Amino acid sequence: MKVSVLQENLAKGLNIVSRAVSPRSTLPVLSNVLVATDEGRLRLSATNLELGITCWIGAKIEEEGSTTVPARTFTELVGTLSDQQVEMSLSVRTQTLNVHSGSSNTDLKCIDSQEFPPMPTPDSGDAIPISVNDLKEMIQQVAFAASTDEARPILTGVLVTVNGDELTMASADGFRLSVRKANLSSSTSRPQLAVVPARALSELARIISDGDQMVDMILPPDRGQVIFQMQDIQLVSQLIEGTFPDYEQIIPRSKETRSVLSTSSFLKACKQAEIFAREGSHIARINITPGGELKPGSIMISGQSEETGSSQSEMDASIDGSPLLIAFNVRFLREVLEVVKTPEIALETSVDTAPGIIRPVGDDSFLHVIMPMHLGS
Amino acid sequence: MSIHILPPEVASQIAAGEVVERPASVVKELVENSLDAGATQISVTVKEAGRGLIEVADNGSGISLDDLPLTVSRHATSKLSTADDLFQIATLGFRGEALASIGSVSHLTLTSRSRDSDQGGKLRVDGGHISAVEPVGVPEGTVVKVADLFYNVPARLKFLKKDVTERRHIEEFVARYALAYPGVRFQLRQEDRHTIQTSGNGDRREVLASLYSLELAQQMLEVIAEYEQLTITGFTSAITFTRSNRREIILFINGRWIQDTALVTAVVQAYHTFLMVGRYPQSALFLELPPELVDVNVHPTKAEVRFRNRDHVFRGVQRAVRRALLAHTPVPDISRESFGPASDPVDFQRMDQAWPSPDQDFQQGQLHWEPRDRQLDESRVPLLRLIGQVAATYIVAEGPDGLYLVDQHAAHERILFEQFLQQRQTSIPSQVLLEPSVVEFSAAEASLINDQLPVLGTLGFQVEEFGLNTFLVRGIPQILAGIEPGAALRVLVEDFEEDETPLQAEFEAKIIARVCKRAAVKGGQTLSVEEQRVLVEDLEACQSPRTCPHGRPTMIHLSVDLLERQFGRRGAR
Ligand SMILES: Nc1ncnc2c1ncn2[C@@H]1O[C@H](COP(=O)(O)OP(=O)(O)OP(=O)(O)O)[C@@H](O)[C@H]1O
Ligand SMILES: [Mg+2]
Repeated sequence: MKVSVLQENLAKGLNIVSRAVSPRSTLPVLSNVLVATDEGRLRLSATNLELGITCWIGAKIEEEGSTTVPARTFTELVGTLSDQQVEMSLSVRTQTLNVHSGSSNTDLKCIDSQEFPPMPTPDSGDAIPISVNDLKEMIQQVAFAASTDEARPILTGVLVTVNGDELTMASADGFRLSVRKANLSSSTSRPQLAVVPARALSELARIISDGDQMVDMILPPDRGQVIFQMQDIQLVSQLIEGTFPDYEQIIPRSKETRSVLSTSSFLKACKQAEIFAREGSHIARINITPGGELKPGSIMISGQSEETGSSQSEMDASIDGSPLLIAFNVRFLREVLEVVKTPEIALETSVDTAPGIIRPVGDDSFLHVIMPMHLGS
Repeated sequence: MSIHILPPEVASQIAAGEVVERPASVVKELVENSLDAGATQISVTVKEAGRGLIEVADNGSGISLDDLPLTVSRHATSKLSTADDLFQIATLGFRGEALASIGSVSHLTLTSRSRDSDQGGKLRVDGGHISAVEPVGVPEGTVVKVADLFYNVPARLKFLKKDVTERRHIEEFVARYALAYPGVRFQLRQEDRHTIQTSGNGDRREVLASLYSLELAQQMLEVIAEYEQLTITGFTSAITFTRSNRREIILFINGRWIQDTALVTAVVQAYHTFLMVGRYPQSALFLELPPELVDVNVHPTKAEVRFRNRDHVFRGVQRAVRRALLAHTPVPDISRESFGPASDPVDFQRMDQAWPSPDQDFQQGQLHWEPRDRQLDESRVPLLRLIGQVAATYIVAEGPDGLYLVDQHAAHERILFEQFLQQRQTSIPSQVLLEPSVVEFSAAEASLINDQLPVLGTLGFQVEEFGLNTFLVRGIPQILAGIEPGAALRVLVEDFEEDETPLQAEFEAKIIARVCKRAAVKGGQTLSVEEQRVLVEDLEACQSPRTCPHGRPTMIHLSVDLLERQFGRRGAR
């Protein structure tokens, strides 16, 4: 292999794929990045067997070939190169990659690319095109509510459903549920569903390049994988096996009280309460008082700690329904308010043991359910 | 009904009942006699759990031919002569009752040769009837054989427990005395098996090792203290080693084993905040007090005593034990000579060197009892600077006095435990589940849960019965959020020992400890720098940061001093 690339492109590509490198793997080759010539471009791939990322960069190819280069060393080295042009040539016999750039000349010990796990080649047949903006926002609004407890693997995933021209992502960690829908530009022929690790989606949101408008999602039948294909980047993830809970039935159908309030003031109040609720219980108490003839309704949020003290903040809200005192995990509240895009949200509640629902006002594509907390008897 | 004087045999059988309850009481009386006779070797042989034969042989001063018949008659003693002596008792026996009592309920043979006589004698007592002394050639010392105990008191015989139980009582008793008298070579043979054998070389720790195990002996901390006429020596277990009951807290006063609930409480109190509720230390404490300050003549088997100044003794015991703990409980240090295995962090011998040993300040006369706050300070950890994580299991931090290795799991357990207790003072918040979870249990577990539903409620579990042996979990304590609810409930009731019906307080403490254990980060879990920092800070804030709720250490300390020595920097310049 003999290629020459731009330092900037190589650095960017390595940066993207190295997110899938597993630094502490027992398989040494997994700490490496696959570097291979691929139809006029240079392909960089890394995988930890659950998640694989490939990135293609422009290259001048003099001689075809491939090898795997220690990811960390390579990334650090490329970061220090000051010259624009980077020339790489592989000695196949010794598996040594010579990296030459300006006055710098380096030899890297590599591992034969034969040892690298094969990356899937998407048969682009059943690709579902999704707008990048939608996808990024969906991931942001859903992935955080997935569980991190490996004891319940299914809940560490995000349920992705495609039905007609509707794409839905849902996640739940046992205490809260986040659901986001989006319209697809074209209708799919058959309904599809998969549980994608939340971590893979978060990585996807991070690496989606700004230039792309659309991302193709491909669920090759019976492979237990999902592929997200962009112009120059491909992300492959293993799917999580199992049945995702039927979340539709968890969403309460009725409500006693609907409170509409400013998203940013609510978020600010929650952050304040969290300072005090952080140690120990994480409880924020929410006191909902409907307004009267002359007085607007109000919502009071309080957090307290045995050690640091307590905080209360009150804000105006337009409240429809009966008064209620309910407690939530303040972190759950904060996390959902941070991803709501509209200036106002509606908090729907009924009794202090029933879930609360948060919806952006004027946008029914998103909904979030939080279970209350209970102060023991 | 007519009143009549009891025949002498019946009267003495009744009296015997006071002294001799069971085979172990015979062993006790005979061994005490041997000890009073200054024996350095005592061997006890038991057959049929003591009902067949109890034989105690010693190499003590022996009994002269003339005195032999006296020893087995009532109120005959060589140890006391005037009433005043009663207040100055320095021997184990003083009533002159034991041999007579035993002789009235068994076939007793007494063989003895006094130190200053060439001729030994032998005498039999059968149900109280004393035979004539028969001269025999025997080695110096005394052998007492008690055969067919209670043969003439069927009621007693009936009340004896199972053989294993009686044998255990005998063994416990001999073990206690072996420990109290390390200079005496003890041997116990039960049913032709050697069960206890000590060397008599005076090393108490060696006795501990031979009675229990080397491991236990190594875990025991040395107690040594003196407070105005009260000397306390002995051993008490490190906080890493606990028992489920108080039976292994044994006390001796002036060489006499006594039972005293108050003093046992003093020992347990010394462990306050160190041990989980329901866990107890193992201790063997030997108190020495001028005989006039303790009245041993208050209980028929001399098992209880009365102190002139009970409070003084109580406080003394508590302090002595607490001092031993504080001297050793500071973060287990690593030996000077070598980096011992981490699993052996409280090797007392090494630690004796690493810490000012209690007897050091004993000699310097600094025997004041630290005020309470001091104690807390000593168990707290200094502010630590996080360095990083090792093997995804330990957190390395620097303190003003060296390096700290923190076990992330044990440390997190401690943090959660204290948070739980703190929340418990008000109420433990429960996080409601999105979907109630249905959990099935075994019948035994289910009945345990049913019994404890109210307690579970106060601990933040919202659980309802839901059909046979099945429960619906609606909410779990916030601390456990992130754990599968069924598993969270299951960990509470799994492997409670079969017939264990835990006490309420014990159950709660157990549950809390289990909850924390389950919720704590595991060893092998990579933590972010932020998570590590929070863990270290939370640990600093704990009341008892040095042990996990189960008593394992949370950290190991490598002092700068130790590091310098290890690297040969000390004295090199
Ligand atoms: N093993 C022994 N070696 C030497 N003398 C003994 C031995 N056993 C008993 N004696 C003598 O026999 C006497 C009577 O013993 P006995 O146990 O009946 O009474 P005691 O020990 O004096 O008092 P107590 O009833 O409180 O035990 C003792 O005072 C002692 O002189
Ligand atoms: Mg006696």
